[in-house]
Formats: sequence, structure tokens, C-alpha cells
Amino acid sequence: MFAYTVRRLLQMIPLLLAASVVIYALLALQPGDPLDELRRQNPRITAEQFEALKRAYGLDQPLHIRYFKWLSRAVQGDLGYSRTYGIPAAEYIFVQRLPKTLLLSGLALTLALVVAIPVGVFSAVRQYSLADYAITFLSFVGFSMPVFFLGILLLYLFAIWLPDHIPGFPRFPTGGVPGVLWEDVRSGAISFWYFLGQWAWHLILPVIALSSLQMAEWTRFMRASLLEVLSQDYIRTARAKGLSERVVLYKHALRNALIPIVTLVGLAIPGVLGGATITETIFSYPGMGRAIFDALVEKDYNVAMAALAFLALMTALFNLLADLAYAVVDPRIRYS
Amino acid sequence: MQKVGKLAVLGITALGLALAGPQDNSLVIGASQEPRVLAGDFLSVISNQSIKSEIEQYLFAPLIGFNANSENFPVLATQVPTQQNGRLRVTDIGGGKKRLEMDLTIRPDARWSDGKPITTEDVQFYFEVGKAKGMPVLNPDYWERVNLRVKDARNFTVIFEPAYYYDTYGSPIGYAPKHIMGPEWEKVKAAARGLDSDKDAEKLNELYRNFFLKFATPQALNRGAMVYSGPFKLKRWVPGNSIEMERNPNFPIKPEGGESKYVQKVVYRFIQNTNSLLVAVIGGSIDATSSVSLTFDQARSKQLTSRAPGRFDIWFVPGAIWEHIDINKFENCQTVRDLGLNDKRTRQAILHALNREGLVKAFFDGLQPVAHTWIAPVNPLFNPNVKKYEFDLKKAEALLAEMGWRKGPDGILQRTVGGRTVRFEIEYVTTAGNAIRERTQQFFAEDLKKIGIAVKINNAPSAVVFADDYIQRASECKWTGMFEFAWVSNLQEDGGLFQYKNLNTGAIMVPTKENNYQGQNIGGWRNDEFDRLTSQAVLEFDEAKRKALFARAQEIWAEELPALPLYFRANPYVVRKGLVNYVASAYSGGYGYPGWNAWEIGWESRGAVKKWDQAKYALSVK
Repeated sequence: MFAYTVRRLLQMIPLLLAASVVIYALLALQPGDPLDELRRQNPRITAEQFEALKRAYGLDQPLHIRYFKWLSRAVQGDLGYSRTYGIPAAEYIFVQRLPKTLLLSGLALTLALVVAIPVGVFSAVRQYSLADYAITFLSFVGFSMPVFFLGILLLYLFAIWLPDHIPGFPRFPTGGVPGVLWEDVRSGAISFWYFLGQWAWHLILPVIALSSLQMAEWTRFMRASLLEVLSQDYIRTARAKGLSERVVLYKHALRNALIPIVTLVGLAIPGVLGGATITETIFSYPGMGRAIFDALVEKDYNVAMAALAFLALMTALFNLLADLAYAVVDPRIRYS
Repeated sequence: MQKVGKLAVLGITALGLALAGPQDNSLVIGASQEPRVLAGDFLSVISNQSIKSEIEQYLFAPLIGFNANSENFPVLATQVPTQQNGRLRVTDIGGGKKRLEMDLTIRPDARWSDGKPITTEDVQFYFEVGKAKGMPVLNPDYWERVNLRVKDARNFTVIFEPAYYYDTYGSPIGYAPKHIMGPEWEKVKAAARGLDSDKDAEKLNELYRNFFLKFATPQALNRGAMVYSGPFKLKRWVPGNSIEMERNPNFPIKPEGGESKYVQKVVYRFIQNTNSLLVAVIGGSIDATSSVSLTFDQARSKQLTSRAPGRFDIWFVPGAIWEHIDINKFENCQTVRDLGLNDKRTRQAILHALNREGLVKAFFDGLQPVAHTWIAPVNPLFNPNVKKYEFDLKKAEALLAEMGWRKGPDGILQRTVGGRTVRFEIEYVTTAGNAIRERTQQFFAEDLKKIGIAVKINNAPSAVVFADDYIQRASECKWTGMFEFAWVSNLQEDGGLFQYKNLNTGAIMVPTKENNYQGQNIGGWRNDEFDRLTSQAVLEFDEAKRKALFARAQEIWAEELPALPLYFRANPYVVRKGLVNYVASAYSGGYGYPGWNAWEIGWESRGAVKKWDQAKYALSVK
């Protein structure tokens, strides 16, 4: 197992290098460069002045030189500066954006899991009951409702319609992050609980919008997977030897039924780190998805590189972790 | 003390909900963009976002302001330099070049928010930083021409060489707090010693950026790293949420009736998604919108307009963004010769066939008026009496018949050129994904079909069509017909968009291989009289004479039609009833944002006196 892990980790190095080359090339080869817009804004800029600016931003060198410069700095932990924010790309991505994304997407993922597994189990155990039909219906609604529509709908409902029509109904925030700083808590201006409450208040709608799709999806998977396991011979054996239904269900069936869910969750985690561009856009939430999107549009290469290379690393890493987790969940799987 | 802080913080979060406006004499402005940096980045080296310039109007007062009527007025300077008061001198320096000197005096009561006086040392400091070797300024043309002569602590002269008339618009120079930023700058200078502006351009850039950042990030500003000189000072910046500014008692200009009658606190609320911003406006938590906020269509949406009466005014301020169709006129392109695009009659015929009045009525309720030249009607140089091309298919057909075009069997015009029969099928390029432009394209394609012109749509994302190897390459026939996009019609108009040659600098403005594809005259128009008139006009410091030169240049332009003018875009603003002097015009403050007179903004119910009427500068939905 240890040798296997080390081997997999070593294999990741060329993979990540290749990924970084591809990402860098795709970024640099997209039409236009970061200074194009400037030229349109300032007609009086001369060719020489423009070249001087290109030099200042290192855009005058050929692609491969720029890549190796970037790589040699990146392996030393220097991911360069964000051209549009002026701060180190690493600080922007890992300090400002990643924690906020982890909070939003992490909560959404947890909520989706916490709801989907019991509901899926319930639905499978009571197959073809009224409750099962209701859950199936709802999960198809959740499945087919695009997040951009659900988001706007939630906003309109909870920030305008309900407060307008029901006196005393709280008006939900229309997005963004709360106007409280962590420094306020440290200086004692506000209490920790108030700070937490403000964040929770701002996160309710985006978390619901973001989790609905996965919740629906995983409920269906959980239900299907458990039903399949419940029809296996060893379940019949377990029942035949007189085990209680509880033990059959939770000890024999559920553990096996969870294996495909582990795969799904493992694959979903890099997605969590990558943020949810659409949800973040609708709720004006400053997370990774927006950061990557904006960086691509504004040709902020260092930021896009830092974020995308990080995602490549995380995808590779979580694939490995999911593989290792199989071994834990399923005793039949052994790596050597 | 702790309790006070607590109340302050609770107050801000409450603002995010519904309580705002006249109740506590504050102003909440909604914006869809958040500045990356503020204040310390005084040369806009790190960021030149419009939201940054807009907010900085509250934090820093210019020496000379530019009001909604496009006139200079003194703010922190005692007087506007004019030839009449002897503070403005123009001299000939030979070779057709001029030299401009402007004497300025800083108000004796001008102070930073920490109480320190604003002096010529601060102007000198600004000048020194801007002139530093390898400083990646975005307006190098300005920095190459400007010079400074300091007389004493309050008097100085700004010199431009060569000088152009627009150097007299607004402040000729800025200033920055030397007592705050100076020590750090000395360190940067020491580190930059020995670096070469060519070889070490990247290193210098990084040094300079780090310097500005120390006084510009939310963290630095919340720590109090910066001082301010405007009517407001920054109190708190919560990234992703808001910026709160409070009145700066050291600001020397007091509005009518005393500053207590005007807003005491200005909060910029950032809601990136404009649909969510619209929800917030409807919900009532926003008093006014910024210049970077709702889209034109959102401001006309029924959800908003039906709730507006008695609550909001919705203004559409005609701006300086000029939507137009450029045309390839390079004779070396076969398509151009075949279609006769290099002949003004073809261009006139096309313009007669485009129902522009119908377009602005159908799509914009007439709130974005049809343009007749490339100069915005709010620009003092605008000539309203140029030739106008009304929608007239008969005239269009007659002009085309004159050029030998006849309807072919498929209803499309054709003619014989050099023994070949050519069809009138014209390429129409614009930015893919821009819904308004794509709708416009469909609308015009229908119009053109009526006179027998087939349109071949060839759209691509803006990054593709605006890339150097596309837009700048009409000379190599990369695009061969019509190209719809927008220019900003500059207040500092110099005719550069349509000059073949700038006679003052000698630069060729038509992008070809010979000049490394530089220049904005992308369609390749050449009219020597236009070049002469516009080149002469920028050296003319007498406004009447300058106007006459530009008036003639616009007549030539409208006759020759190097490009087809469509309309000027309007910027929408939603303003709560009772808020006064929150007024924008196309060039107010230089860029056309509200807030150029921040100290006069207030609520009528709180005793603020209305000095500026937005209705004078804008259209409104009926």
C-alpha cells in the first residue's frame, strides 16, 4: 500500500508538468494580450511607449521563455503577481478566495451529503411507496432545475416577494459577503456569534442553490445503489440466518452501497475547490469560480495559472485518495 | 469606547438591509464592480478601473475640477488659469509647436485629512513618482510632455511642451501625500538605483507596484495607511461587500447652508451580479446607482419602472461611447474594389438604407439618440449642422444605380467589374455574444436586403476581433466589409480616429505593415484637408477658432462618411427622490461619473440645496 502510494505520487509529477504546459499554452495562445485594451483606451500611446509597457509586464518574450520563467519561480513557491489586483497571485487565490469557496462549496457539499444519504436510504427501503414517489419527483425537479434559474428565483422570493407580501418576513441579503470583518471580532467590536450569524445569514440562499443539484443526484445514486445491494444473495443469506433488519441494512447493505458514493464524492471535491462560477456570479460571492473566470477574461495569467495548476494538483490528489478510500471501504480491494 | 465601535459596525450591517438615505443623512450607492485598490495607486499603475476613479472623487479633490457643463472650476486651487487672468500663457516654440505654462496657487486652507497642509511638496512628489524611470504609466504621452516649476510652498507652474488645447481641461497635474508616502518612496528609489529601464523593466515594475500597494489595499487602508484630501475620507472597506466613507472636516469648501445639511456618510455597496443589484435597488436598500451598475435594459425593465413613481428617478445620461460601423476602404483588397467601398457614394447609400431612427426607437425607446458624427453632442466641439442621412431607400437605390448596380436574378445587386460579374454581398463583423450588437446586425441586415445588399455575418468574441492581428489588419483584407464596435468619443478630441497623418507628430494613423499596425484609423481613410484641420485645431487655444476648425472637419467627415455613425450609448442611473446634486453628464469630472461635486450631495429633506438638475443632462423613461 505504501509503495503503491509513493509510486502514484511520483507518477503525478510528469502529469502535473504536462498539465501546466497545456494550461499555460492555452492561456497564452488565446487571442489578444492583456495590453490590447489599453491601446484602445489610450489612442495617444506610441509604438515605443507600448513596447516599453510590454517589457514591464514581461510580455515581449516568446511563449516558451515565459513558461520556463514562470515554472522556475513557481517551484520556488513564487506564483507571481496578479496583474489586475496588484497583489501576489498566491495570496489572492489561497488567502482571499479559496477559504471563501471552501466555506460555500464545502457547506453545500456537506448539506447535499447529509440530506442525500438518509433520504436515498429511506427512499430505497420504502421502494414504490408514496414517499418514494415524492422523493423521486423532487429529485428530478432538483436535477433539472438549472442553478442560474433557481438562484434568481430564490433571490426574488426571499429578498423581494416574501418580505413584500408577508409582514415581518426577514429580507434576505441579495448576495455578497456580510459587512463584518474578522478584525472587528478580534478588537471586540462585535461578538463571534454575531459574526458567525451574519455569515450564516448571507450563506443560506447560495448554499441551498448550490447544493440542490448534488443533493438530487446523490439521492438517486444512493437509492439505486442500495436497491441493487439489497437484491444480492448475501443479503438474502443474512436475512435467512435471522439477523435483524437493522443489522442487515446498516451493516451489510449500506457499507457496500456506499462504495459508488465514495467515488462520486471523491470526484466532486476538486470541483468544490474550483468554486461554483454560476452560483458565485448570481450571489456576487467572491469565490474561486469567479476568480478563475475573471482572470481568464482579463487575461490575468498569473492568477489563472495559480488557480488552474492548483486544481490540476487537487484533481490528481483526490483521485488517488478516492482510490485509497476504496480499500478502506471495500475489503476486497487491495493495492500492491 | 467598545460600545461605540459596536454601534458603528451594527450600523453598517443594518445599512445592508433597508434603513438608508435621509433617516441618518447617509447615501448608499450600488455598484456592480469593486475597486481592486484605491488611494495609494495615485497614477493608476495597478488599476485603472472606472469604479476606482469614481470613488476617488469622494476621497481626493482635484486642483481644478470639471463640472457637468464641461467647464473648469477651482477646487483646491485658488483660480482657474486663463489667458485673461494672466495665469495661462501660450508661446510658439517653432516647428508649428506650442508651449503652455499655467500658474497655479494652492488654497491656503487646503489640508490633508490628518491636518497637514497640502503644499507644492505634494505636487513635486507626484511629479517625481510619475517621471521615475520605467514607471509603467498608462498615459506616457502626458508624462513625456509635462514639466513642473515650483515657486514656493503654494505657487507653482505646470509646463507642457509640445502643448495641445486639451491640456487646459481639468487639473494639469495631481498631488500625493509626501509626508505619508515619501519615506517609502526613498527606499524604492534606492532599490531602483542601478536598474536599467530597458533591461530590468519587469523588476522596476514590481518595485513600483509594491510601493503603491502599501497604500492602496483594503488591509492597508483599514489600518489607516493613507490620508485624504477630498470631502470624504475612507473609514472602512469590507472586501466583497462595501466601502464606507465619512465626511472629512478638513475639506475647505463648505456647501450652501453648512455641511451638516449634506450627506455625512457615503457607502458604496458592491453587488457584482447586476440582476441581484436590481433586486437590491427594488428592495430599497440602495439610494443611487454608480456609473458601473445596472445595464441599459435593466434600467428600463418593468420590475423597476413600475415601482419607480414616487420612489426613484431613472435617468439615461447620454455618454461618450460612440457605436458605429467602420468600413474597409483599402483599395488593395479586391472585395473593397468590387463593392466600391472606397467610393463615398457606396457608404452614403448604405447609411441611407439603415433605419437608425427605427433601431433606437425599437431597441432603446429613443433613449440613445442617433449620431451624425463621431463627436459626442455634449462635447463643446460638436457640430450639429453636418449633413444627415435620413432613412431613405430610394436615395440609397439611386446612389447604387449610379455606381452600376442592378438587381440580379436572386434579388441581390450585381455589376460588372473588369469583365467579372460581382454580387453585392458584404461582410458584417461584430463582437459575438453582445446581444444588442447582434440584434442590431439582424435589424440592419433586413434593411440592406430591401435594397438588394446581402449581408454575410462574421462575428467572433471580442478578444478575437479586437486582437491586433484582426482589427488592425484591414490593409491585409482580414476583414473586408463592415465592422461594428464602439470608440470612446474623447473629450480631448484630436481627430486621431480618422487622420491619415498627424501633422504635428508625423505619425501615420492608418495601421499597415509599414508602421507596425499602429493607429486607430483602421478602415484606412485618407483626407488631407481633414488631417490639416484637425492637426491645426489641437494647437488652437482660442476656443472659437478651434470650434470652427473642428466644425469644418466634421462637415468633411459627414460628407465622406469614412464610418457609419449609429448612436451614442447612454448610462442609466437610478436615484432616490429627494437626493440632490448627484448628477452626471457625459464629461462631468472628466470621465462622466456622478460624485465630481461630492461635497454638495445631500437630501432635500435634510436641508440640502439643489444646485444641479440631472434633467438638464439626461433623458428619462416616461
